[in-house]
Amino acid sequence: MKYIRQRSKSASAFLVILMVLLTVPYQTVLAAMIETETALEISTAGQKARDHIKTILAREDAQAVLRAQGIDPFEAMARVDSLTDAEARRVADQIEDLPAGGSFLVTFLLVVGIIVIILIITDHLGYTNVFTFVK
Amino acid sequence: MIGLLIVNGCATSPIKRWSHTSGDVPPKHAINRVPFFAQEAYQCGPASLAMALGWSGLDIHPDTLTPQVYTPSLKGSLQPALIAAARRQGRIAYPIAGPEALLKEIAAGHPVIVLQNLGLSWIPVWHYAVVIGYDLDSAVIILHSGITYQKTTALKTFEKTWARSKHWGLVVLAPNRLPATAEEQSYVRALIGLEKARQWTAAVEGYQTAISRWPQNLSAYIGLSNSYYAQDDLQSARRVLQKTSMLFPEEGVVFNNLAQVLWEQGNTQEALRAARQAVKLGGPLVEQYRKTLNEILADEP
Repeated sequence: MKYIRQRSKSASAFLVILMVLLTVPYQTVLAAMIETETALEISTAGQKARDHIKTILAREDAQAVLRAQGIDPFEAMARVDSLTDAEARRVADQIEDLPAGGSFLVTFLLVVGIIVIILIITDHLGYTNVFTFVK
Repeated sequence: MIGLLIVNGCATSPIKRWSHTSGDVPPKHAINRVPFFAQEAYQCGPASLAMALGWSGLDIHPDTLTPQVYTPSLKGSLQPALIAAARRQGRIAYPIAGPEALLKEIAAGHPVIVLQNLGLSWIPVWHYAVVIGYDLDSAVIILHSGITYQKTTALKTFEKTWARSKHWGLVVLAPNRLPATAEEQSYVRALIGLEKARQWTAAVEGYQTAISRWPQNLSAYIGLSNSYYAQDDLQSARRVLQKTSMLFPEEGVVFNNLAQVLWEQGNTQEALRAARQAVKLGGPLVEQYRKTLNEILADEP
């Protein structure tokens, strides 16, 4: 911004006015400061991410995989609830890359994938006696 | 009799919603000292708003509000215009809906502007009034309405006329107070409204109120620092953002805004650190964080 201002000082008044008229709305001039309204949307996105993860884990086949691994499904849901907005968003983003639905093997990979991602992102040690390969 | 009625939530008949709340609020309450302005023709909007603002501590006459609130071609005032005008006066304008919320606000001592249809559904006569009290045992609502001071209306009649606006109400408060039925996101939205109306001092106070009530609300901290920033109080903006960065170490938005403030204060190295941290944390706004970082880098000597 300072660079642009130094340049425009030496331009004619006409060019300066033209630039101002062509400038995008006021908000973009202060583009660096993120508005409160935008910050509010980020927080909402965190809640949506948590809900999305829980929807997947609430599926019957996912619940079966959790139980088969000795994980209390309620505990898993509670862990998701305790994710911060930022953590939940990161987990949800990573889940996008995992396979969805279909065979039991795919569900198994999906659920295990979710748990592993949550563990890695949050450094939780609660499940390490189950997944000993995650250290 | 009121306590024995069985309730089904939203499927309840309208009158029962009033009695359903009766367990949560005293059976009657009246708010003293709500100023009264007898309205002029069609000016129920400005009059109602002036009464609510007056109660909240602002000495203002309806005529001052008329240009902002009243639409001559409609011979009336639109709800968004009322909300915007309240915010331009530096007040929290917090919409509520329904009997439960109305009674709780009145019981907490907050008058409520309501929108009624005093006509028929096919020939509506829209009318703003200010609810200042209720008496559930006598089944009445007390309003400053039209040219009548402390008008008593039968609850049944009030319910019918108010239901037609979908039970719309508005609480108008100084920014150091919370509505009795305040919800986190809705209150923050009302504060964002203050920012849009450029009422920075009120916004600062409002966000502090929000933070004291919801200390885990990220947007309230961002709003507080943004409001300081808008007042050119970079020192306070920085202080708030640094505190917020410890509460929310994973939110890039905090570091991005902190970088901007540090840069404007001339602390380029610290600004770069914060900007890089924002980009590293990523998230949906990462492109904007990169933009900030690039601007600071471009400015480096």
